[in-house]
Amino acid sequence: MEERVHIATPDHVSLEFELAGPGSRFSAYVIDFVFNVLLIIAIVLTAYLTGALVTLRSLAGISAGASAPWLWALVVLIIFLINWGYYVFFEGVGKGSTPGKKRMGIRVIRQDGLPIGLREAALRNLVRAADMLPPPSYILGGLVMHFDPQGRRLGDMVAGTYVVVEKFDLAAQGASGAAWARRVEQGRSRQALTLPRGAISAQQLGLIEQFLARSHELSKERRRQLIWQITEPLLPLLEEDRDSLARSVERTERCERLLLQILDLAQQKTVSVAITPKAPPPSALF
Amino acid sequence: MQDAAEKLEQWTRFYRHAQTLLRSGRRALRRLSGTELAHLIDEYQALTADLARARSLGAARETVDQLNRIAVVGHNLLYGQIRLRDSTAPSYGAGNFARLVRKHVWAVALSATVFFGAALASFVAVQFYPSLGYDLLADEFIDFDPANRDNLHSIPSLARPVVSSLIISNNIQVTLLAFGLGLTAGIGTTVLLLFNGIHLGSVAGWMMLHGKDRALWGWIMPHGGTELLAICLAGAAGYVLAGAIVAPGQVRRSTALKNIGGDALGIELGCMVMLVIAGLIEGFVSPSGIDYPSRIAVLAASLGLWALYFLGAGHKPARAAALDQPANSEGFRNPDQHSR
Repeated sequence: MEERVHIATPDHVSLEFELAGPGSRFSAYVIDFVFNVLLIIAIVLTAYLTGALVTLRSLAGISAGASAPWLWALVVLIIFLINWGYYVFFEGVGKGSTPGKKRMGIRVIRQDGLPIGLREAALRNLVRAADMLPPPSYILGGLVMHFDPQGRRLGDMVAGTYVVVEKFDLAAQGASGAAWARRVEQGRSRQALTLPRGAISAQQLGLIEQFLARSHELSKERRRQLIWQITEPLLPLLEEDRDSLARSVERTERCERLLLQILDLAQQKTVSVAITPKAPPPSALF
Repeated sequence: MQDAAEKLEQWTRFYRHAQTLLRSGRRALRRLSGTELAHLIDEYQALTADLARARSLGAARETVDQLNRIAVVGHNLLYGQIRLRDSTAPSYGAGNFARLVRKHVWAVALSATVFFGAALASFVAVQFYPSLGYDLLADEFIDFDPANRDNLHSIPSLARPVVSSLIISNNIQVTLLAFGLGLTAGIGTTVLLLFNGIHLGSVAGWMMLHGKDRALWGWIMPHGGTELLAICLAGAAGYVLAGAIVAPGQVRRSTALKNIGGDALGIELGCMVMLVIAGLIEGFVSPSGIDYPSRIAVLAASLGLWALYFLGAGHKPARAAALDQPANSEGFRNPDQHSR
């Protein structure tokens, strides 16, 4: 099973979703199971109390006692509906999330990235018996999930759905991302930096930039370790002597200077990617 | 840095706006004015352009993730409210069940063969080897006497609603299992049909052997036609799913399952409706005191009606594909045409 699934939209954007693992799916199942049982207990208790009330009233001669069988007929049907319809209802109405799934931060989506409706919820949950084989072990469903690249159980295949991780907050990292996007728009994108003795990729430059931006949040020891891990592979490219630097008392400071130097070089060497130097208005982007 | 703040503000604004619209229901987009909608689409395109660049030009992982999540919200908003599947597929309304049954008549034939074949075989077997009855029959049927008026009326009229709902939910459970277990390449469905067929056949054979068959048929007939037909069709729904696993054709098995899933579900939902009807007859008509000819009449009438329905309904779409209908001047279809 892979970790992510990509979905192509009609406007040729590839949306990426993180697939939910068996662990969070099982935990969600346990929570839903408990909730399901509690719901049934509550309904049976309510019916008992109502039934007792009806009996009392009929004993007191207020009304006829004929309504009790209908009450229990209703209870039988309601319990059946809860057993088979719990998932169909919550996933169909709650955009692919049951109380348990919500708790675990996962939800069901269609293979085109849209939230599921009642049809998909019904399909993937009414065939649950097959996934549960041999009941109630979920061994068959678990095996299918294990071997499917998108981690689908049989019900997911029939309904055409994925279970994905739903965690999101407009993170604190937004600012640096926005600054990056602005630079790209203005033609100062980060490109690979080519030096006489090799190249430093755009990803590596991104890593350096991110590290420098956040290094003050790290403990002194951790910072010392990480900066060495980042700088060491780059030393041959910079024609620096690894051994003398490794023994240096102010290794961290010297590494930091080297990294800043790399970023400076990258800034000077950037190639223009955008056609216009100024950011175009949003409508002109396509 | 001023620029960056503006960019972040732009993303955040689009995210909040799209979230709000998503939460305010299916009609949210239609309530927007033309300019508002155009602006929203512009913002979405600007965002997806940022996302595409972030991926291809190596932005930080968090940036890509963040833009991706905002794009998902925008995508769900802009594409989720216009359900392409609903508007392109013709709708058959209540005739859909009949259409699907005709479309997958091979599955119906297979299911009926297994079910009634097992019933017939066990019926004949009990005739020739009566001792088999003790193995095949459930204990309560050994001494069961359908002619005994106490038995026939052993459901007190007060308890009938409860019995009726128990029967309905039990039968629906059987059809749901027959449907879902189709995913075991049909093995589970076959086992279920065999068990139910053997049960039916051996009880009938046993009663025949003991001269109680007339009373038994009298008891079964009013609801039996509808109920047994529904079980057969649920088996067919299971075999439709099994077909996608056994013979997926040119596509992956998971894709074949996805393509055929809707058909199987349509048949299964139809079976549930049939069983509710059968259960009501079983709970109220079958235990009542009506005479033998009337029971035959109820059976004949119910089978006749089902034959009419399955042969006659669902030949023409109740609603034509919406894409064939002219769009109005704004390029959006009339909201009423979208309601299912």
